Amino acid sequence: MIKNQITFVLLVIALLSCDSGNHTRTYHLTKAKNKSFTQPAVENKKESSGFTWEKPDLWIPTEGSSMRLASFEVPYSTGSGDLSIMELGGSGGGLEANVNRWRGQIGLDPLTKIEIENEAENGVSELGTYQLFRLINLEKKESAFLTFIVPLKSSTLFIKLNASADGILELEEDFKIFCLSIKLENSNQ
Amino acid sequence: MKQIIKIVSSPKIFVYTIIWLMVLVVLGTLAQRDIGLYASQQKYFSANITWLGGIIPVPGGRITMIIMLVNLTFMVLFKQNLWKIKKIGVLIMHIGALLLLIGGGLTAIFSSEGNMVIEEGAQSNRVDDYHDMELTIINTSNESLDKYTVFDQPILGKGNILSHENLNFNIEIISYLRNCEPLKRTAPAGIHYKGMLKNFMLRSLRPEKENSRNRPGITYRITNSGSSSDGIYGLFLGQSVPQTAVINNQNYEFIIRRKRTYLPFAIELLDFKKVMHTGTGIAKSYSSEVNLIENGIPRRVLIEMNEPLRHKGYTFFQSSFIEGPEGEATVLAAVKNYGRSFPYISSIIMSIGLLLHLLKNIPKLLQKNPRVAE
Repeated sequence: MIKNQITFVLLVIALLSCDSGNHTRTYHLTKAKNKSFTQPAVENKKESSGFTWEKPDLWIPTEGSSMRLASFEVPYSTGSGDLSIMELGGSGGGLEANVNRWRGQIGLDPLTKIEIENEAENGVSELGTYQLFRLINLEKKESAFLTFIVPLKSSTLFIKLNASADGILELEEDFKIFCLSIKLENSNQ
Repeated sequence: MKQIIKIVSSPKIFVYTIIWLMVLVVLGTLAQRDIGLYASQQKYFSANITWLGGIIPVPGGRITMIIMLVNLTFMVLFKQNLWKIKKIGVLIMHIGALLLLIGGGLTAIFSSEGNMVIEEGAQSNRVDDYHDMELTIINTSNESLDKYTVFDQPILGKGNILSHENLNFNIEIISYLRNCEPLKRTAPAGIHYKGMLKNFMLRSLRPEKENSRNRPGITYRITNSGSSSDGIYGLFLGQSVPQTAVINNQNYEFIIRRKRTYLPFAIELLDFKKVMHTGTGIAKSYSSEVNLIENGIPRRVLIEMNEPLRHKGYTFFQSSFIEGPEGEATVLAAVKNYGRSFPYISSIIMSIGLLLHLLKNIPKLLQKNPRVAE
């Protein structure tokens, strides 16, 4: 009798172990007008700005000020930085004035034009020759800058990343790859 | 045949299963302290097989209750001596117990719990599950419509290969993590890593006791795409930017998110009100004035604490609220449970059965007790 009851119990277990549930679904939805994970306004700016770029997947497009061509929230292991892309007419106020203004924002003393030129990392990108500045105040590590400046025909492109000093060091490679990916839109076609 | 019925309807099976259920209740209650309520429910009550200490397989709550259900059904249907007028109380009790188990089964199979977040002035027809996740692949190539292919959590186990006629590639699940965190890579990733995993990796974390605090993650491999998109990808819950891929001229987005259920009606939040205890930041009461919109026709309803909205099998409770710079949003707990009435009905039926059986036996009890008889 016990043997039969055990057989019954095992039979029920065997029959019910098979999961026949359908766990795949498909459906269609009209495109969301304001998807939380896309930023149409920023994408439009990107298109209308005349530039294209390739950003790391984790960079999040954000709404910046009207002066910015685009803005991104740039996450790193201990926080997130703010990256802005701006195009200003002519030299955009001049290299010396801009660099010293950023230095002042993080508590660094101003430098002469020659000293600034010596601090710059120079290179060539798709857009032309660029200057990269790493602005870190070791006594005030909560805010630091990485800036990438490219003079264009009649304007200057400024790409600026603001994060903590540790964040700047962590993000520098991604920042450079991003800056070097920037092209004029027409150059793709 | 008679022999089978005799075996299956044996009262001994009921006795063994109810004792085992008691053991499971004790084990599950004790386990809550270490692994939390949800994990304990899953391990001891919702599973067919429970692994004690991770090595000893024993019948789980679900299989135990199914055996009990089969046993009780056979008892009610085939035990001839139950269908007698003098046993009417016992028969009714058995039927009540059967209904209780059937209600439990309906709840286990069809119930869902989630929440619906609606901002003031906006409407929603979507419930996000509290516990279950889904891997969603959206084909965004069409200008007006997005095609969704959704794989539910039960098939996101390690080693599973997912494919669908909507997708021109396969997905092999490398790992599903109940709780994880993205970590910035310190060394360059191999060339087979794509997307977010080029810069980050997912580190498995010990699951939190409170399941809603876990951040599930998944790593998977795209294969047979016939393009350079083949490779290993990763996703985690709450990832701000979805993973994208262009495969055979089709644009895809990959997201892991809470399982979504779209309802055949919508709820629009007209006004959210909250009353705070004086001088504190603690809510005394809050309510949501909503429009229940079905087939384009709105009906005004007030959802308050302890006064939920019930519609089409769903119950919407006022659960919480969110205050943001741009206004308030209400959080409604949405529960769908076809078996919710069964415990009440079966308890009443069992009480009636017990009462009838007691009344029937009173004269016998009085006769047997000589002192009372005197």
